[in-house]
Amino acid sequence: MEKTTDYILEVKDICKYFPGVKALDHVSISIPRGVVYGIVGENGAGKSTLMKILSGVYEKDEGTVIFNGETIEHTTPIQALRRGLSIIYQEFNLVNTMTVGENIFLGRFSETHGMKGTHKKAKELLDSIGSSISTTTLVGDLSASEMQMVEIAKALSFDSKLIIMDEPSSSLTSEELKKLGIIINQLRDKGVSVIYISHKLDEIFEYCNIVTIMRDGCVIDTKPVEELTRSDMIAKMVGRTIENEYPPRAHCVGEPLLEVRNLNTHKLHNINFTLHKGEILGLVGLVGAGRTEIIRALYGADKVKGHQVLLEGKEVKIPTPKQAKQAGMALVPEDRKREGLILPFSVESNITMASLEDLTHMGIVDSSKEADIGKRQIEALAIKTPTPETKVVTLSGGNQQKCIVGRWMERNPKILILDEPTRGIDVGAKFEIYLLMNKIVEEGGAIIMISSELPEVLNMSNRVLAICDGRITGEFNPEEATAEEIMDKAIG
Amino acid sequence: MTKTKTNPYLEFLKQNLVLCGIVVLIIVTAIAEPKFLGTSNLNNVLRQLGPLPFAALGMTFVIIGGFIDLSIVGIISLVGVITIGLVDPLGQVGALLAGILLGAFLGWLNGLVLTTCGAMTQAEVLFITYGMSSIYTALALIYTGSETLRISRSEKSISIFTTLGSTNIGIIPVVLVVFVIVLILMHLFHRKTIWGRAIALMGGNKDAAYLAGFNMKRTMRLAYAINGTMSALASIALLSRVTTATATSGANYETNAILCVVVGGTTLKGGKGSVLRTMLGVVLITLLGNCMNMLNLSTYMQTVMRGAVLVIAIWLDNRKEL
Amino acid sequence: MNAKANVNKVWKVISKQKAVVAILVLMVMMLFFDTTFYTAYNWLDMLRSTAILEIVAFGVTVAVICGGCDLSCGGTLCLGGIIAVMMVNSGIPIPIAILVALLSGAVVGFINGFLVVHQKTEPFIITLGMGMLLKGICQQLTDAHPLTCKSKGFMQISNMKFFGAVPSLVVYMVILFVIFYCLMRFTSFGRNCYAIGGNYEVAKYSGIKVVPIKWAAFVISGVVSTLAGVLLSSRMNTGSSVYGDTTGMLVNCGVVIGGTSFAGGVGGMIESFIGLFVIQLLTNCMNQLGVDSYYQRLCEGILIVVIIGSDCFGRKLKRERV
Repeated sequence: MEKTTDYILEVKDICKYFPGVKALDHVSISIPRGVVYGIVGENGAGKSTLMKILSGVYEKDEGTVIFNGETIEHTTPIQALRRGLSIIYQEFNLVNTMTVGENIFLGRFSETHGMKGTHKKAKELLDSIGSSISTTTLVGDLSASEMQMVEIAKALSFDSKLIIMDEPSSSLTSEELKKLGIIINQLRDKGVSVIYISHKLDEIFEYCNIVTIMRDGCVIDTKPVEELTRSDMIAKMVGRTIENEYPPRAHCVGEPLLEVRNLNTHKLHNINFTLHKGEILGLVGLVGAGRTEIIRALYGADKVKGHQVLLEGKEVKIPTPKQAKQAGMALVPEDRKREGLILPFSVESNITMASLEDLTHMGIVDSSKEADIGKRQIEALAIKTPTPETKVVTLSGGNQQKCIVGRWMERNPKILILDEPTRGIDVGAKFEIYLLMNKIVEEGGAIIMISSELPEVLNMSNRVLAICDGRITGEFNPEEATAEEIMDKAIG
Repeated sequence: MTKTKTNPYLEFLKQNLVLCGIVVLIIVTAIAEPKFLGTSNLNNVLRQLGPLPFAALGMTFVIIGGFIDLSIVGIISLVGVITIGLVDPLGQVGALLAGILLGAFLGWLNGLVLTTCGAMTQAEVLFITYGMSSIYTALALIYTGSETLRISRSEKSISIFTTLGSTNIGIIPVVLVVFVIVLILMHLFHRKTIWGRAIALMGGNKDAAYLAGFNMKRTMRLAYAINGTMSALASIALLSRVTTATATSGANYETNAILCVVVGGTTLKGGKGSVLRTMLGVVLITLLGNCMNMLNLSTYMQTVMRGAVLVIAIWLDNRKEL
Repeated sequence: MNAKANVNKVWKVISKQKAVVAILVLMVMMLFFDTTFYTAYNWLDMLRSTAILEIVAFGVTVAVICGGCDLSCGGTLCLGGIIAVMMVNSGIPIPIAILVALLSGAVVGFINGFLVVHQKTEPFIITLGMGMLLKGICQQLTDAHPLTCKSKGFMQISNMKFFGAVPSLVVYMVILFVIFYCLMRFTSFGRNCYAIGGNYEVAKYSGIKVVPIKWAAFVISGVVSTLAGVLLSSRMNTGSSVYGDTTGMLVNCGVVIGGTSFAGGVGGMIESFIGLFVIQLLTNCMNQLGVDSYYQRLCEGILIVVIIGSDCFGRKLKRERV
């Protein structure tokens, strides 16, 4: 078989820049025909960016892409599909309100000779991958694994030579995962190459022939899977040079402050934990493991029933964020722009909005006090803004984040919840946020920090909880535990 | 993004488009028809200002909050007929107060229905408030049996309604004085009170305001209650001027109010805006009508013009950056 | 557990077919009254009365399925009728007159499409403004007087009877229904409309030409509205600017009641037909029972609020499920 030495896809020295970040740094990979090629890396390692460039969603800034012997300069998603490169995203690219058959041939109705032809061909494709989904059901009624089958069938309908699967297992049960394995093997036998992107190393070892490990937008290593061990791989994924990126850890853990008991929803299972005064508690887990859901339930942002929250030994009810605020909690949400800031408003109003009630007498807001607060927090956090009246949308990511932190600092919260506090922020601003965190715990506050950056959690927190599939799977002392051990629990 | 040199005059023009529009309109019409600046016409313009400013004022709060309200047609009609109906049992002052309270209640009820259903998008809000408007109008029809109600003048020689409707202080109608007072109060409410702030924050970003500890449902009901109250005032201003009320007297006020708000520069995206700007919108629209009258254009052309202005204003609003 | 699951299942089916349930409830209710409800004449009459609105709804449904909305259809309907009557009165052959009327609808739809699809404005308010603009144009054209058509042939169009008993309007409705049903169901255009409404981004990435198709949907909506206007004018033998005042809201509500959602991508001609028919049926039942017309209006309002409100409520429950 000569073909196996031939490459279906060659990527050479691809670079991609986003404002302030280098998302991909001279990435080169070569994918032979008829193999399953694994790409692993932490959140933000650049895997998804690479895939989006290949599928034509993003434009590359530098480098060359050779697909099936043809150099590709510019592509759109539909051109990529027609060339034979399909990508199955984590969030499926399907129209939920249409039937399975029509989704497979979306936009190609005229090529399939009407509804009957569509369903017939769709049925053939689904049969070929051993799926028995009826082609007339609505995609919205399917389970995640069935949707995956539909995506695969859709990829095959384009006669794909390369199928990229981005985190295919994240929403599958173990039973469904086995089926997926069988299909991947079938595809390989047909000579189709598969790029399999995952955090979950077990799957990589089970399915893949070759693995590339990425970190911080760079390719760290590419090896046949037989030559790698699990611990090698984890070390390469997480191992980064730790210089003086972090301030010294604060050590002021005191008595218990907050206890959460029996937190259950359909995504979370039996969550129990305690937070102490002066403690930074890190929550580690993959995206979608339930980290954000835990803190949203705690903060009253989602309606959850049946759990118990004890604050300083007394039971409290927190049905809405308003009560959470009154109980001394504060939340810096994950999605700054969507949930944190009021973009068209001034820096000052974004900072003061949580404290307005304290400045209000008989309903009238004291605007001179408000201006004081604005100025005080801008100075205290060194927010770089021309004036307090500047619209917050014009600020850099780091300064925007500081506005939200400043909003809560003004209230001296007992418990500060930070969801991905340093995402999309440059190094200098990160360090300042770390210093702030230390200051808060030194003054007797407590912090719950969610982060996808393991080194950040390891260096900042006093205790780490690993979360996987809505369960707490491990508790670590970061001064003793290694990144590998924690990752192992978080991956499940 | 490269920074191009901005022409300061152009910037000023962009910032104060409505004001410039008003000035240009006055100059052009004054040249074409000198009578335009005469006292009788001025008086006429001032009197025309009656109910619409109140309605636009209330609508401003709903739109700043990021929503829209079509039900003011029904509120204006229903409040009008009930107020007149209550003059006999409650007396004029009592009827007036009851009318305002009723308006506030109807507005609050809109808010309650919307928050209970969890209406989030403009489409949902639009249709539900339209339905509410049908209900209110139907109630008004049932109450009046489609008769025209008149204010009975038997009991007192000077009635509070006629004072409101047809008395002047100098050349300024009393109703306008009342309006200016309300305007100042509402402006202060918007800018100075925590409730006004909450409405603006809700329009700016609902999720963020919720997570910062504001009660969004209550805020939404408040915005609608304010709109209801203002609609009731509009209704009273209207019935004072014409001394009658019918079950359909509120017709077309919703589009005109939205028109004034959008033309004034309050964005339909919510968050940003001011009641004073809305007043510029009211002045522009009222003047536009008056100018077209003076230039002998038909009243139908005015509707065309208003529709065109509304469409263009929304279009321009959509092109505006944050 | 099992019983609960069954209840859930039943509830799911019912919540999808609210309109059908409403029809069944009304029909069962009418069994208990001694009226002429269950006569062939009454049902034929109902179909005839609802035909105009149904035809408008077919066009609007195309726009709604694409994720748009057309509230200007009332104005467009009015315009189409007036243009046709004016042309016929000035001696232009009827087919050409109708063609010109349809063309005017295409122009309106094109402008709507430009604003909504190309300029990405919120369709609800901009088409509301467009409706107001068209209303003004209609009033200007007719001087707000009804315009009687002098041609007997024109009147015949909607007042004929086929097969001795079937009103021509019903026949037109059925023909248009079949055409639109096939268009949305069996053509590439129709399926692409569903894809665009269902998920705009996915449709775009799948190589569907999203902008031209959605734009075309608005043109179709405009053309069909004018066609309905022509038929209405023929039926009444007049073109008048008072037609179509509530059409926009009523049709769009009817479409939603049938199950076509403003989110886009779901629903279809059958659903829209049923949705509009519910409104007609409700009116008919109340007429049969001798309900006062004001109470009828009240019921209509309540129906709109309850149906659209429960639609919102369902989405709210879905959102809050964590």
